[in-house]
Amino acid sequence: MFSTFKQDRTYLTQKFRKDVCDPVTGLDLNTLKERLKEFTEPLVGESHTVIKAKAFEYVTKNVQIDVNPHDWFVSFGCWNRYDRPLNYLLKKWNSVVDQKHLSEIIPLINEFTKSGAVAMWKDFDHSVPDWDAVFRLGFPGLRKRARQYKDEREQSGMLTDEAKIYFDSIETVYSAILEMLERFHAYALANADGNERVLSVARCLKTLIHGAPTNTYEALQLIYTYFVFGEHIDHMQVRSLGNLDRILYSYYKKDLGDGLFTEENIREFFAYFLMQWGSINNYWGHPLYLGGTKENGETEINELSYLILDVFDTLSIPTPKIQLKINRNTPVPFVNKAMDMIRRGHSSLVFVCEPSVKRTMMAAGYSEAEARTFDITGCYEFGPRACHNSTAGAYLNLLKPLEWVLNNGSDPATGVAVGLETGGVEQYTTFDSFYSAYIRQLGHLIETSIQYVTEAEKYLHEINPAIVLSASIENSLKTAKDAFSNGTVYNNTSILCAGFGTLIDALMAVKEFVYEKNAVSLRELQNALKNNWIGYEKLRLKVLHSKNKFGNGIAAVDTYAVAVASFYAGKINLRPNARGGFYRASIHPARTFITLGEKTGATPDGRMSGDEMSKNASPTMGMDRNGVTALIKSVTSIDSAMFPGDFPLDVMMHPATVQGDDGLAAMRTLLNAYMEKHGIAIHFNIFDVKVLLDAQKYPEKYESLQVRVCGWNVRFNDIAKKEQDAYIRRAFNICE
Amino acid sequence: MSTTGIIFDVKRFAVHDGPGVRTTLFLKGCPLRCLWCHNPESMLVQPRLAYYVHKCLHCGECVSVCPTHAHALFDGKHAFDRSVCTACGACEEACLGSALKNYGEAISVDEAVQIVIEDRDFYGEDGGVTLSGGEPLFQMEFCCDFLKQLKALGIHTAVDTCGCVAWSALEKVLSVADIFLWDFKHSDREEHRRLTGLPNDLILENLNKLVECGARIEVRIPLVPGCNDSEENLSATAKILKKLHVERVRILPYHALARTKYEALGMKNAIHDFSPSEPEIVLCAVDIFRSRGINAE
Ligand code: SF4
Ligand code: SF4
Repeated sequence: MFSTFKQDRTYLTQKFRKDVCDPVTGLDLNTLKERLKEFTEPLVGESHTVIKAKAFEYVTKNVQIDVNPHDWFVSFGCWNRYDRPLNYLLKKWNSVVDQKHLSEIIPLINEFTKSGAVAMWKDFDHSVPDWDAVFRLGFPGLRKRARQYKDEREQSGMLTDEAKIYFDSIETVYSAILEMLERFHAYALANADGNERVLSVARCLKTLIHGAPTNTYEALQLIYTYFVFGEHIDHMQVRSLGNLDRILYSYYKKDLGDGLFTEENIREFFAYFLMQWGSINNYWGHPLYLGGTKENGETEINELSYLILDVFDTLSIPTPKIQLKINRNTPVPFVNKAMDMIRRGHSSLVFVCEPSVKRTMMAAGYSEAEARTFDITGCYEFGPRACHNSTAGAYLNLLKPLEWVLNNGSDPATGVAVGLETGGVEQYTTFDSFYSAYIRQLGHLIETSIQYVTEAEKYLHEINPAIVLSASIENSLKTAKDAFSNGTVYNNTSILCAGFGTLIDALMAVKEFVYEKNAVSLRELQNALKNNWIGYEKLRLKVLHSKNKFGNGIAAVDTYAVAVASFYAGKINLRPNARGGFYRASIHPARTFITLGEKTGATPDGRMSGDEMSKNASPTMGMDRNGVTALIKSVTSIDSAMFPGDFPLDVMMHPATVQGDDGLAAMRTLLNAYMEKHGIAIHFNIFDVKVLLDAQKYPEKYESLQVRVCGWNVRFNDIAKKEQDAYIRRAFNICE
Repeated sequence: MSTTGIIFDVKRFAVHDGPGVRTTLFLKGCPLRCLWCHNPESMLVQPRLAYYVHKCLHCGECVSVCPTHAHALFDGKHAFDRSVCTACGACEEACLGSALKNYGEAISVDEAVQIVIEDRDFYGEDGGVTLSGGEPLFQMEFCCDFLKQLKALGIHTAVDTCGCVAWSALEKVLSVADIFLWDFKHSDREEHRRLTGLPNDLILENLNKLVECGARIEVRIPLVPGCNDSEENLSATAKILKKLHVERVRILPYHALARTKYEALGMKNAIHDFSPSEPEIVLCAVDIFRSRGINAE
């Protein structure tokens, strides 16, 4: 009756890579963008929320659409993630905010970012809607609920001008959404030409226009359309597709029970559903998560959890990335299934340990229930479900303060004084004095960054008023405040960092070679680093060869890891931010371990200028030489409760270690041990160095080989040689 | 002072050395000389320096630390004179290329216990510690004392043995070894002699006694192409094991010879090459045991 998935796969893969919509249905992307500019020009002077709502409506009315017989899901003309129609408004408003409010602090921050001390941008990419509400209410129900809140305010005389704008914009946007669904519906009916699938899409749209979804397929269509409305049109408001197995289970059971769909039908819907994100060209991947624990202590894992993993397994796509919320009650067969997928190369699965997160969240003041039902939002970040909007405020380069120590506060590359004057190299007569200079410089980096982020985040809602998102969050409606202002209950800001492990190695190298072995003076070392180790190759080898590296279970080294982590976390955690929330420390760098590394000179650990640094709580690539148990021992010597932002670890293992039933059991044991030691997130790369070397030589043979970068996966073939080399370096230490 | 043993490696997170996740201690010294030996560094009890020439950076750091001048640098090229090396190990740490490795380190029982305890959290419900080698029971006293301490700590213990030791040694560890991993090389007396240097009489006798004592045993058969993978030998082996009521057999496919290790140890003459096991042959082998009601994998 329908074309098969195999036949449709080409269409699905292209869907978010090029124009696939019916040209007669509206404006092509470029014209749409031009017209939109013309349309919004006369609106200048109105509130940004109003302009955005109107622009949203303009897009939904005029963008090209399609309901294609090759797909169970509708198609939007605004497919390009990197060229979204409302982009220009955000850009414009961002510079307005910069000029109007941040001009004083921007020059200093510019020097910081130019020299690679910090990477920061105004972050909108970590919010999650209240999916339960979206499902319960559907689009019309969300609009109705907003209307009720508006009416209440009006009756109690609390409807300020600002609140009115807030509610009216929701009215505009959600009406535009429903109208657009009508457009899809009419188009489907007009063009079905008897095609049963297109007619089914039409029926599904009809339900969504009138209310909440009633079956699994409608629910998936709802997630998908809500996502495009929130991410591609209203911009960056759906960082996670949610706890899919939990949310969809009742639909699934009912559909099977009623005989509406077979298991096979549902698998097919999921295949098409997951392929949407396989097609969306998002470098970071797009997350959804499975599992967790119910209030009664039972696991949330159900038949659907297995089904989703199973379908994902057949697709071989690096995204969506799936996070698994693991607890002691998670069924062994489920963990085994995931582990088996991982060892076959599906490394985009990551485990997030529920008990550890719970402990960490409660330490930050969340209630038991909030800490149990947390949402996973980005790579592995977590926050209380349906009531939080977290941002990634700044990514700090932990190696920069070290460069400042060696250069009395100046950046060695730009020569600009951005750090503190802690004295010249001659003044650090002991390692203790060197170390305390580092700590002071690190404090300076943290303070300055937080000062900037606090200023900048006052205006997030002026840059990207989150209309689609706000309507899903009940607290936002209650307070009539935008979700990017402080409309959600928890509005927290993460301060993240890159190079933690490399920094510890660098400190240890200074300690050992300058102060203990007197192998080199600090002045000479400074010179070696300035010359990128040229002329000091032997010294570099000695440093690299030293066993004093983080990640090897060496107590004397780990002590410093704990000390620096505690200082960093202590300076950040629970400080008030600009949105009524607090700051939280994170040890995750996203991609900045590469980008900030490019702006960092050679460092005392033997790292060359421009090289990447360590990521997450993991050691420098290739420096964990004592095996995975020592690695976990080192990493978990740091109390993860200090990192309410997140605390992930990357583990690399050899395929031979994890082969057979013994191998699966071993992977499980490792996960459990990590969880018992309060580790939070853990992901695996299962590699044989021979395979990686071969893949570098013959990329065509390894089209589907994936590597886990940080919190997302990429194809090995798609990364630069230098990045590939780092994986190879680490894989060399991993033996059978 | 606790008893001292000579080890050549510690493997943490060992997954295929007995049940669960284990830490394996490799002891030096072995009575057999299997042609396919994977751990040539284990044969003698005495330490021995390995020089991995492909890793050498010719930096010369080793030259000044060697008390017997075994290392020299000629025209920027490193040369190693094994004949004067006493395997004192001093050069290993100095080496910048990780090209030098001294196999053989004295370790006390207390130190060994300390090492394995560090990884206790990873043993889970089934895992523990395995003594391997070489032939661990060659250093019987160390094994005994070490295993005793582990049992006192409630840690699961395994002994990986070739069985070619005095019965008294096996008898001594009987009460402190939770499982024996018994390496079975060949069913035929003379073939056994040809392949390993010694006949198998003592081995079979010991296995028999061990079974009678009710010990838990997993027999492991390294399947080496052309040596012991014939149907005839496997059937004969299965027959022997059936008679002995051995319940579990594990077939270990042969991968590739540790050629670089032999070369690094200056043992080139002892190299015998075999091709890796064909997967079908491995499956056949498993079937031979299963068809006789022996649990094999
Ligand atoms: S082990 Fe000792 S004797 Fe042998 S080469 Fe090294 S330093 Fe010299
Ligand atoms: S120290 Fe190591 S790398 Fe350097 S010459 Fe000696 S063996 Fe070679």
